[in-house]
Amino acid sequence: MAASPPPDPPLVVARDLTKTYGSGHAAVQALRGVDLDLPAGELVVLLGASGSGKSTLLNLIGGLDQPTHGELLYRGWDVAQADEAGLTAYRRDVVGFVFQFYNLIASLTARENIALITEVSRRPMSPDEALDLVGLTNRADHFPAQLSGGEQQRVAIARAIAKRPELLLCDEPTGALDVKTGMLVLEAIQRINRDIGTLTLVITHNAVLAEMADRVFTMSDGRLELARVNSHPRPVQELSW
Amino acid sequence: MLNLLDLKLGRDLRALKSQALAVALVMACGLAMMIMTRSLIQSLDDARANYYEKHRFAEVFAELKRAPESLRQQIAVLPGVAAVETGIEVSVTLDLPNLAVPASGLINAVPERRPVVLNQLYLRRGRLLEGAGTGEVLVSEAFAEANALGPGDEIAAILNGRRQELRVVGIVLAPQYVFEARPGSALPDNQTFGIFWMREQELAEAFNLQGAFNEVAVSLAPGASEPEVIAALDRLLKPYGGLGAYGRSEHPSDIRVDDEIRVLEGLSFGFPLVFLSVAAFMTHSVMSRQIALQREQIAILKAFGFANRTIAWHFIKFALVIVVVGTALGTAGGFALGRQLVDMYHLFFRFPVLAFEPATGAIVGSLVASSAAALLGVASAVRKVVRLSPAQAMRPEPPASFRPALAERLGLARYLAVSVRMALRNIERKPWQAGFTCVALAMATGILIIPNAFRDGVRHILDFQWDTVQRQTATVSLVEPGPLRAAHDFAQLPGVIHTEPFRTVLVEMAAGHRSRRLAMHGLVNQGDLNRVIGLDGRPLTVRGRGLIISEALGETLGIQPGDTVTIRVLQGKRREVTLPVGGFSQDFAGIASFMELGALNRLLGEGDQISGAFMSVAGGQWEAFLRALKETPQAAGVVIKDAMRQSFRQTTAESIGLIQVIYSTFATVVAFGIVYNSARIALSERSRELATLRVLGFSRSDVGRVLVGELVLLAAVALPLGLWLGSGMAGLLIASINTETVRLPLVLSSSNYAYATLVIVLATTLSAWVACRKLHQLDLVGALKAAE
Repeated sequence: MAASPPPDPPLVVARDLTKTYGSGHAAVQALRGVDLDLPAGELVVLLGASGSGKSTLLNLIGGLDQPTHGELLYRGWDVAQADEAGLTAYRRDVVGFVFQFYNLIASLTARENIALITEVSRRPMSPDEALDLVGLTNRADHFPAQLSGGEQQRVAIARAIAKRPELLLCDEPTGALDVKTGMLVLEAIQRINRDIGTLTLVITHNAVLAEMADRVFTMSDGRLELARVNSHPRPVQELSW
Repeated sequence: MLNLLDLKLGRDLRALKSQALAVALVMACGLAMMIMTRSLIQSLDDARANYYEKHRFAEVFAELKRAPESLRQQIAVLPGVAAVETGIEVSVTLDLPNLAVPASGLINAVPERRPVVLNQLYLRRGRLLEGAGTGEVLVSEAFAEANALGPGDEIAAILNGRRQELRVVGIVLAPQYVFEARPGSALPDNQTFGIFWMREQELAEAFNLQGAFNEVAVSLAPGASEPEVIAALDRLLKPYGGLGAYGRSEHPSDIRVDDEIRVLEGLSFGFPLVFLSVAAFMTHSVMSRQIALQREQIAILKAFGFANRTIAWHFIKFALVIVVVGTALGTAGGFALGRQLVDMYHLFFRFPVLAFEPATGAIVGSLVASSAAALLGVASAVRKVVRLSPAQAMRPEPPASFRPALAERLGLARYLAVSVRMALRNIERKPWQAGFTCVALAMATGILIIPNAFRDGVRHILDFQWDTVQRQTATVSLVEPGPLRAAHDFAQLPGVIHTEPFRTVLVEMAAGHRSRRLAMHGLVNQGDLNRVIGLDGRPLTVRGRGLIISEALGETLGIQPGDTVTIRVLQGKRREVTLPVGGFSQDFAGIASFMELGALNRLLGEGDQISGAFMSVAGGQWEAFLRALKETPQAAGVVIKDAMRQSFRQTTAESIGLIQVIYSTFATVVAFGIVYNSARIALSERSRELATLRVLGFSRSDVGRVLVGELVLLAAVALPLGLWLGSGMAGLLIASINTETVRLPLVLSSSNYAYATLVIVLATTLSAWVACRKLHQLDLVGALKAAE
């Protein structure tokens, strides 16, 4: 193993992150004091059962929601304390999202779905370049209804990475796909993580995906644990489930 | 029994309360109008029928010069005549201490030695003219109210040139004066014109009519033919200067009540129809959306074994709740407004009792109409529910299919912003929904045009009547037609700048089988005061034997300029002549005819006679003029233009104003309802897409633009369409309520269009704002979780 370079400060840091929904007897504690350091460029997999709190954590990191308590820093900037406009700018400039149900705009073609984002980004790649990265150049002018589920998800990935985000958040990206299609999608995610160096956080309940990660966390009952660090993450093609 | 589905219904309704309320309000507006107008029709109809029956309103009427009392017996035995009433009616000028202008009116005789069998008086206050006595008078309620007269007050009347003090003993109503206006005038002027009753003997003595009568009213025996009685009466009265008998359909008071009912009938149909169509569309869009949102729930219910019928009924009930709320609101609104309008009718129509009578039939009718509208709206949505297979509904809906919009296919893509492209594609994907929204918005725009077109029409009439046609300050009429010299006498009154004499004579004008009794006006050639205006808005010249008639009369007689008409003079030597019609004039007050004064006098063969004169009076000497006029015995009546205008403003204009405000408010409610509803549906349909955009880093205002883009686009198309549609609807409605006595012109002013545009733009902006405010509540996380 080569000597470690001087460690960069982590891109995302969470300290004692707590999220409680509701109050009184109806209060549900979704996160119970999570500490987390995510270095730039890594591919991180977060495993957990349904209701474990992993989506809540992803939503907080993505600036979709705000913690009840604790600190959440992106490059030292406190996401937890940001106002509405700050969060909008953070989501626009820093974060790329990939959702379980793709969430493409049905009335826009693949290229337009991407262009929608690149038009408001600071240093985007071209929509065609993004489509090339996910291998869908030939489907650029198709509408979502004309694409398969896997293709739609790859368009969603292209849309997420076209703005060259520093942080790519994928919420169950293969949850709605069959194995074969799911692998195509994961390949795209892994390739982008390697080629562009985007810090990628994939949340899933599929433990097999842990093999492709640099770092694997598990989550249960609102608590986070570092499960392992893979010095040699496996390529997606080698995985099977 | 309240089952769980009903519980769900209640909660669904609560969640959709603002949209359900918007639909219910639109429905309520339409129904309120329907219930209001139908109730008013019923109130007027019933009040009139009761009044006529109880006070024995006659069915055929005739005025004449003078006939002996003995003729009454001959009339009574005419075939078809059930009862006869004869009497005296004469013109009178009055001097009221608190009134600067001379007032005028008609005095009727109350027989002392026999009971009144027809047109019986209704005593409102004081007492009738019982027993013997002199110097006592009964006054009509409208005049008494306008001049604050009551029993015990004194008024001075000029009876046949002699001044006499009269004491008011009672305030009365009579069925032949439900609408009380100066003969030939379309507008009431209760302050300066009234109806009075005196003892027959006293009146006859003053006018040298002892043992004689000058008016007849008869009622018909069951099965009698009115035209035959009229013809027989005409033959009998001809030697006595009969002016031609006529039935109720030509009775100046009754015709006005009829006209009002006709107007209400027009309004009771047109407006509600538009409103209910809009409500049907809104129900459809709300229910379709609701069913789309509940796709999975419906599937689960079906999977659990609920019958299609049960589920369909559940959604139909949703619509019916809206109907019930709408009908309740509409009924309450219709009653409240109806009560107000009934009070207002008191200004025009004098009945012993004019009570608001709720038209229960209309409530049932509106319940049926609104249910029909709602069911029509909900039908296709419910059909979708029935067709939905549970297994299919459990799966998330595939993404909607889109294609580039027409504008893009034509190569305009690069000029269109993404939000515009999205809006255009969405419109093309659901052309029916977009089309309906567009039509509903256009209707909302259109119905805003109608009430203001009424307002502008009335304003136009006023300007036309009182600035273009009548340029005189006052019109003075003589007690009896007199020599031309009288006009010169009037010219000597203080302040008079210019006078123009006129002659008015009652004629019967006939073309083919159609005929009308009306006043023929003789005017001076190239007169400057009271002018005749042609259809092109330019003054027409009366000259030679040329006859000018109003367009309304032309239509009534079915003739065109150049055709000939037969004119039978109903007074004096009763000459008959056939004349060509030289042209049509504009006359919004109904039927009218004009000739040159000299030509008319030659036709009458009575020498140079005049009925009165138009005058312009210098403002500074107005008081002196009025004082002098009050002292002029031959002046039977005076119409002061400004007083007339003032009276009109206080009565007719105010009532039209009230109706206009009601309709305008309703139209505005509908406009807001439609736009708000469309915005909410768009928000609901696109919430996932909008949440996605928010997650992807778009600001609220960016997302707001995407949300309202489609609405703005549709509103932009709907606006001009609506202005066009509204102009058409206003034209149709005005044509449908135009009568012989009132002809409202279709005036479409730019301020009307501007108002409609402003309301729609405001409604769109406000609704868009409300929808954009709802973007705050958009569940970003939730939208990402759900498949749809």
